[in-house]
Amino acid sequence: MASVTGAAKRRQASMAAAAMLFVMAGPASAQWLKLPLPGTPRLPDGKPNLTAPAPKTPDGQPDLSGIWQADGNRYLENLAGPGVQVPMQPWAAAVYKERQETLGRDKPQIHCMPHGVPDAMLVPGIPFKLIQTPNELVVLYEEFNVYRQIFTDGRALPNDPNPTWYGYSVGKWEGDTFVVETAGFKDGTWLDNGGYPHTDALHLTERFRRRNFGTMQLDVAIDDSKAYPKPWKSATINFKLMPDTELIEHLCENEKDVPHLVGK
Amino acid sequence: MKMKLAVSVAGLGILLGAGPALAHHAFAAEYDANKPIKLTGTVTKVEWTNPHTWFYLDVKDSSGKVTNWGFEMGSPNGLMRQGWTRNSMKPGDEVTVEGSSSKDGSNNVNVKAATLASTGQRLFGASSQPGETPVR
Repeated sequence: MASVTGAAKRRQASMAAAAMLFVMAGPASAQWLKLPLPGTPRLPDGKPNLTAPAPKTPDGQPDLSGIWQADGNRYLENLAGPGVQVPMQPWAAAVYKERQETLGRDKPQIHCMPHGVPDAMLVPGIPFKLIQTPNELVVLYEEFNVYRQIFTDGRALPNDPNPTWYGYSVGKWEGDTFVVETAGFKDGTWLDNGGYPHTDALHLTERFRRRNFGTMQLDVAIDDSKAYPKPWKSATINFKLMPDTELIEHLCENEKDVPHLVGK
Repeated sequence: MKMKLAVSVAGLGILLGAGPALAHHAFAAEYDANKPIKLTGTVTKVEWTNPHTWFYLDVKDSSGKVTNWGFEMGSPNGLMRQGWTRNSMKPGDEVTVEGSSSKDGSNNVNVKAATLASTGQRLFGASSQPGETPVR
């Protein structure tokens, strides 16, 4: 009797699992948009448990890996926080004013050129993927299919590097916080959608903390004496995990807005 | 003092009304949220491409003249995450669009929602209409 009940239970469980797989997999065309990813803690109903503890790597560090998006657009237009005025060098203030007055008409992305850091992470709905490995953390930004490599093998930032759009990054753990130092930027990107400029003297410090399985926070310190008389800090940016999905290719192949950007 | 308050409240209204900007391009640099437009027509072409999806409708005016209009939405990536597929809309479909007019007077519209006549399905534009979550 007991064995019959056991078999029935097993059958029931396997049917439930099959049903869950079917529901989660969806139609064939949506298999990468919604699929159950391994390593995801789950609630009894099969949904991801976003408040489960942050995962750890085998060596005991928090693991930031996952697909993330900004939790709201509160800091998109002003990285420092709504209404906060960041003191700027006169030339930078003039550039910023023009960018504000022309409603972002000339931002690099319009010409399919890269967004800045952290601008690339500030728009809800535009995810980025973190892949944490023992010697580097890879950032894949969905928009424009661009990436960053944050080396954690102990190397120092290069001296006099060839300037690049995303600069050179090294990272290390301070307790549960992943601290990323980046320098060697080419000038030209905007730090946020509002248009904070920077020069090749920019040195960024990003501090990432994964609060639990489903949430992560970032604070950014901006040091660029050619553009800003004093280093300044971003507001704390919140990210939420996009579970059970994948990034989608995003190449800027059909830009048609440029001729129509009035800007006022 | 009272006047100052009225001015600053009006200023706030404009600020809120302007809504979030797209990150690929600023919504307000190209479209006017205060000029809503609603058009019905027949799909002539769909460009399921990044950074923005575009589709085109032949729209007949009251005099019977047909004009081809362009409609901009968010990225296909954003649209797929909101339930669109590349086959949601096909040439020949009749579609009603609610959106915002262009600022330069061109026959382009930023899509807030598109309703398919055949199914009545109302799909959102996944762009950056004021009050919506921007999806670039």
